[in-house]
Amino acid sequence: VISRLRRARPFDRAGRGIVVAIFISFGLASAVSVTLSIVAIDRSRSRATALEVVARQRTLAERYVGEVLAAHDGGTADPTQTAALLNESVRVLLDGGVAPAAPGNDDSTRIAAVSGTSIRRQLVEQQRLIADLTAAGGAVLAGRSVAPSALTGGERLTAGSPITQLRVLAGLTSGVAEDTASAIAEESNRSSDSLITLELAIGVVGLAVTLALASVLVITTRSRMAHYRTLVTSSSDLVFVLGDGGCTYASRSLCKLAGRPQSELLGQGITELVHHHDREKLAEILEGDPPQSMLLRVRNSVGELRYLEAIFTDLRSDRHVRGLVVSSRDVTERVRLEEELLMQNQRDAFGSQIVEALEMADDEQSAYDVVGRAMIEIAPESPMELLLSDSSRAHLEPVATNAAAGAPGCPVQSPFSCIAVRRGQPVEFESSEALNACPKLRGRASGPCSATCVPVSFMGRGLGVLHATGPQGAQAGPERLAQLTVLATQAGARIGTVRAFEKTQLQAATDGLTGLVNRRTFEREVRELISSGRRFALAVGDLDHFKAVNDTYGHEAGDRALRMFAQVAQDALRDGDVIARWGGEEFVFAMPGLNRRQAENVLDRIRVCLAEAHTGALPRFTVSFGVTDSEVGATLEELMSVADAAVYQSKRAGRDRVTIGEALPAPRAASNGNGNGVPALQRAAEEEDPPASGFEIR
Amino acid sequence: MRSRWIQGGRRCLFGSAVLACAIALGSCGGSSDSSGGAPVIQVTERDFRIDVSPAHVAAGDVTLQVRNAGPDRHELLVIPYAGGRLPLSPDGLTLDETLFKNSEPGSLEPAQPGSTRRLSVRLAPGHYLLFCNMEGHFMAGMSAQLVVGP
Repeated sequence: VISRLRRARPFDRAGRGIVVAIFISFGLASAVSVTLSIVAIDRSRSRATALEVVARQRTLAERYVGEVLAAHDGGTADPTQTAALLNESVRVLLDGGVAPAAPGNDDSTRIAAVSGTSIRRQLVEQQRLIADLTAAGGAVLAGRSVAPSALTGGERLTAGSPITQLRVLAGLTSGVAEDTASAIAEESNRSSDSLITLELAIGVVGLAVTLALASVLVITTRSRMAHYRTLVTSSSDLVFVLGDGGCTYASRSLCKLAGRPQSELLGQGITELVHHHDREKLAEILEGDPPQSMLLRVRNSVGELRYLEAIFTDLRSDRHVRGLVVSSRDVTERVRLEEELLMQNQRDAFGSQIVEALEMADDEQSAYDVVGRAMIEIAPESPMELLLSDSSRAHLEPVATNAAAGAPGCPVQSPFSCIAVRRGQPVEFESSEALNACPKLRGRASGPCSATCVPVSFMGRGLGVLHATGPQGAQAGPERLAQLTVLATQAGARIGTVRAFEKTQLQAATDGLTGLVNRRTFEREVRELISSGRRFALAVGDLDHFKAVNDTYGHEAGDRALRMFAQVAQDALRDGDVIARWGGEEFVFAMPGLNRRQAENVLDRIRVCLAEAHTGALPRFTVSFGVTDSEVGATLEELMSVADAAVYQSKRAGRDRVTIGEALPAPRAASNGNGNGVPALQRAAEEEDPPASGFEIR
Repeated sequence: MRSRWIQGGRRCLFGSAVLACAIALGSCGGSSDSSGGAPVIQVTERDFRIDVSPAHVAAGDVTLQVRNAGPDRHELLVIPYAGGRLPLSPDGLTLDETLFKNSEPGSLEPAQPGSTRRLSVRLAPGHYLLFCNMEGHFMAGMSAQLVVGP
């Protein structure tokens, strides 16, 4: 049995055979027992009848003697019938048959031949004695003694009268019958005893077999149960059963996840694990039809929220289970990944919206507008502002605020007073009252708050900060932070680009050394003045002996001289006047509203101021001017040639002076002009400095 | 040694039971030995006579080995017998046992056919009668004589 058990497959339907064997053995024992009882009762009934017949023989022997004596005394008794009855009875006892009915109370009864060697020997003896008795009876009636040779039973009736002999024989017959009766009774007792013993033995054996089979059944069932239990409990699936009174089973893996023993999870204990939002859902499921599966959030042993994908199997109508079987797997990693992907997608969509909106902003102000609208989109309830530094990068100014919620009003002054700008990465503060909170958050009119500060930078240079506040103790959350970061990054990129573009435009329009507008800008301005028809003066100024300055003190000193002159000239001019560096040490002036005489005064003042501005750091230098006005020429080229010629005259006249060009020069000079160079000046320079010195105009 | 006996109480009990059995067996053996020394007389009872062999024995302790050959039950009485008629009881079928109640050396109660029993008697020299006194048995011839010599 044991080896079969070992071979048994866990899902076999074994055990049925054992149950059948139990029933068979029980039935067999019962059947044998009942059969034995029936046989025994039958035999015992037959024995009781035999006993009656044997016992009757005593009475019959006595009666025979009585009848013989009565007949001997002349009575009417007939002893032969009793003799026949005696004989027939003992014959039936020996051979079986119908025992004759005795006169009086007995009925004739069928009996089986009596068994048992010693009993049969006694019956044979009885038969012989009866024969001897009847012989003796016959002898008495005949009035003589019975012949000893006629006796068959082994008795020796040596003395006494025939009647005494008859009485002795009757006594012997009666004694034998009594012995036989007691032997039959004893035999009956013995067989009863042995029957009881036998039935007891059968009962014990039957019980033993049944018990053995039952224990085999129990062992089989147990080992199978153990197998199932091991299969179920060692599974990594998190299984629990929800019945009427709560949880009725929780698998080992679930206990491990929860970090609690099963006893704590049973009943209502399991609901403590489930996230409070999912508890109601779970309760609803228990009320009605369960879905095939759902996502269940539970807290694990360290309080972390884990996502379980629960699959429901409704076994509430199964009488062995009576509950909802929930089989679940930990899918936290998958869920987190999905959430992250979703967030990433949203962030990307938001980011591309921001980028598109900012691309359409072609100046700083429109970029600020985009940022303001994006703030409303990110969090209409959260005060938010964009603080940017000006071009000097020294002061932070709010340039955009959340129109829906207002500005938080950060008092930060300069970019490097801001921790977020210094760190170059977003900073979050859960509470303005915390020890490690930014001090600029404290003491605001709106009271304690939480804050998120995201630096705005371009090409690694901090431009400012995107600052948002929320209710005290609440963090922005990863999604909000991501959106703010995207906004800050894209706004920084766009504003930086716009600023760089504007700067480039400015640089294209100005002279890099002096900061004055360049020749092209000057030409545009003058053409605009000409087309407007407004009167204006136009002058050309050329620094005297600049070549000598350059050669003696170096280019650095020359540059400083140029810058100094530009500064002096600008200070002397009005706001509407335009001064430009034409090239080299030559400058041009356009003074709207002035005629050439008025302009001469201005230029004289410049000469004086230049002389006064000398500090000793530079060698003393002077300037020669030529001036004319819009009445003298109609085009820029004409006016320039007049002014050029006037400068030439100033140079010729000894420098450091102003010469007014009153009229257009001769056609020769005009045809020689190339629109770019200054022929008169060139001539003057050639005269002044020998060509071998390498002095070149431009 | 003594303390060990006390400690092993159960073993002591078992041991004493074995000892008691041994003593009982020994005493049985002793009595059989003592009777084995006495002469044995085979007495066979059957319907309806008694055979005694040998019919002569020396005085002293005598063992009667009594076998009932059946088919009926038989008893055995041993009485001194000087000859002559023995008195019958009132029913006329048995001897009157009251007369030799105090003189009989021994007797055996009725036994089943096929049984063998022993009866130890101390016999003085003289004649003895062995008989079965069940109803009519003595009258039917169930008696035998034993002569005990000096």
